[in-house]
Amino acid sequence: MTEGIPQLLARLEREAYVADPAIATSVHLAMILEKPLLIEGPAGVGKTEIAKVLASMLQTELIRLQCYEGLDASTALYEWNYAKQLLHIRLQEKEGKSAAEAEAQIFSEPFLLKRPLLQAIAHAGRAPVLLVDEIDRSDEEFEAFLLEILSDFQVSVPELGTIKATQRPLVILTSNRSRELSDALRRRCLYLWIDHPSLEKELAIVRRKVPGAGEALTNQIVALAQHLRRLKLAKVPGVSETLDWAAALVALHASVLGPQLVAETLGCLIKDEGDLRKVRAEIEAGRLAGIGA
Amino acid sequence: MIEEGLPGAVVKLCRGLRERGLLVTTAHATDAVRALRELGLQSKSQVYFALRCVLTSAPEEFAIFDELFWQLFAVPKTAKNQRSEAPRDAPRDPEDRGEKGPASLSSFIDQAGGDGEPAEDEELPAASDQLSQGKKDFASFGDAELEEIERIARRLARKLAARPSRRWKAARRGARIDLRRTVRRSLGNGAEPLELCFRRKKPRKTRIVALCDVSGSMDLYSRFLLQFLYGLQGSVARVESFVFATDLRRITELLRERPYANALRGLSAQVTDWSGGTRIGACLAAFNADFEHLVDGRTVVVILSDGWDTGDPEQLGAELAVLKLRSRRVLWLNPLLGSPGYEPLTQGMQAALPHLSVFAPAHNLASLRALERHLLA
Repeated sequence: MTEGIPQLLARLEREAYVADPAIATSVHLAMILEKPLLIEGPAGVGKTEIAKVLASMLQTELIRLQCYEGLDASTALYEWNYAKQLLHIRLQEKEGKSAAEAEAQIFSEPFLLKRPLLQAIAHAGRAPVLLVDEIDRSDEEFEAFLLEILSDFQVSVPELGTIKATQRPLVILTSNRSRELSDALRRRCLYLWIDHPSLEKELAIVRRKVPGAGEALTNQIVALAQHLRRLKLAKVPGVSETLDWAAALVALHASVLGPQLVAETLGCLIKDEGDLRKVRAEIEAGRLAGIGA
Repeated sequence: MIEEGLPGAVVKLCRGLRERGLLVTTAHATDAVRALRELGLQSKSQVYFALRCVLTSAPEEFAIFDELFWQLFAVPKTAKNQRSEAPRDAPRDPEDRGEKGPASLSSFIDQAGGDGEPAEDEELPAASDQLSQGKKDFASFGDAELEEIERIARRLARKLAARPSRRWKAARRGARIDLRRTVRRSLGNGAEPLELCFRRKKPRKTRIVALCDVSGSMDLYSRFLLQFLYGLQGSVARVESFVFATDLRRITELLRERPYANALRGLSAQVTDWSGGTRIGACLAAFNADFEHLVDGRTVVVILSDGWDTGDPEQLGAELAVLKLRSRRVLWLNPLLGSPGYEPLTQGMQAALPHLSVFAPAHNLASLRALERHLLA
């Protein structure tokens, strides 16, 4: 790989992702060092988006594993298609084949249900992007299991033998820090922290993603979002909320923000009742950036 | 110039980080050097981002990283300018998250203008003769530390709720196939088990009964411990909360109030003997008499107190023995245990010790995190 960070930044920009040097450097290193990249940060700052954008930029497939509590190997790796196997046995019985033959058939690839991890490993062609989303939601046993997969990218299926990745997938893990991840996992990964964007960056993002909002409206939207983040809210709005809101305002053909309009569309930005009350009080008191009461 | 000594500088940085408690292995050092070779060294900020990406693994570590990085890689004269080149994306208050072990709760209170020195030097208010009527205004506490306490509590509660028991229950998907239901269902398809039924372990719900000392000697700690209980209670685990000083009071309902500010308002309105003296034995007796139905073999009883007792130590011992018999474990968390040189020599503590499953400190965030181990055991 000969290209450097500026080229990568430009390529991300073409995919409509506004990155900064920290993000570009981390992504670049993940690709050249072939190590998983662990991305942490508050909700809605574009952690998951990075994986999607990378897959599209590299013109490869995105394989996504959404983690949740109780996620286990059979959901993440592979499972045999029992129903298909049973039907097959029933059909075979009529043909009078031996048990050994039947067994060899039903434990072959057509009967294997590949779950995301195996899909990523067995993937043919260009190395895919494997997104392990919200790893902090899975339990610790699963984390240990994932570590094993990430260290050698091979899986052994007892009935089939070992399946080994021909090309290492580019692995992106995201976490909202709802629990501490194990040291072992942290040690194995490159690390990227994405915080809420600065004013300039958020302006750039909104301009890029919602070009329909004029310059004046964009400035107002972003100023207000930045202001809201400084209030102590239970659910701090992320960039994705800002974008939703901007899109909603464009759909309403708004060209300038007023207290009335803000109050009506606030639901795009604030998703908690207590927060709503707080922000409404701010609006009434005329304390919100750029919006007179 | 840097080019020459680069591996050396990286190794030095790694060693420094390791000494400061970061997880940095030889493999990291190798990766770091490789990263710099591949990237080239066009700008200092790029070197900075690359090394930070490889060598850190949590935002709390950025401050340490920054410090060491600029020590090693900045030309002293321009260090300040270079620093401004550094990103402003580091999380706002890395210190807030309480990763610095020694920051005790009392030091937080220091900042809030309180008296930092805990109980030992304080005069011990006599029990019962003066129920201090002073209603505390809890609403004015610092917030970052409190948030962290709640975060710990929530995480702990999640773990408590997710522990598997030995019993099974039917589930849409699960670890084992439920043969009995599978066969039963298959009858409709001519005994062909097309649809599998699963079963999984039922989660075992640990119950917690917490008794928090709010007497004068605990003044500096009880607000934080209450916040901890509040966090626990807002979750799936079953938590019953009590406060005691000279009298026992059940506050489970009060803590259910959301948000915390409302709960605090209710608390200070209803609990009147804040900061009075302590009669632990009598309060435990009251608990055993009125609330014994809350404690069974699955219940962990947590007592949060410094053991400064103006009541009868013998009664304390006897009541604890009863509690111990009925419950799964009895934990005593003592904030003073965190101060160096403290020995549990008070009569109350001496009487209590033989009946406790765990006697542990609860004076800072680290000790609250350690609580996890005791509650899950």
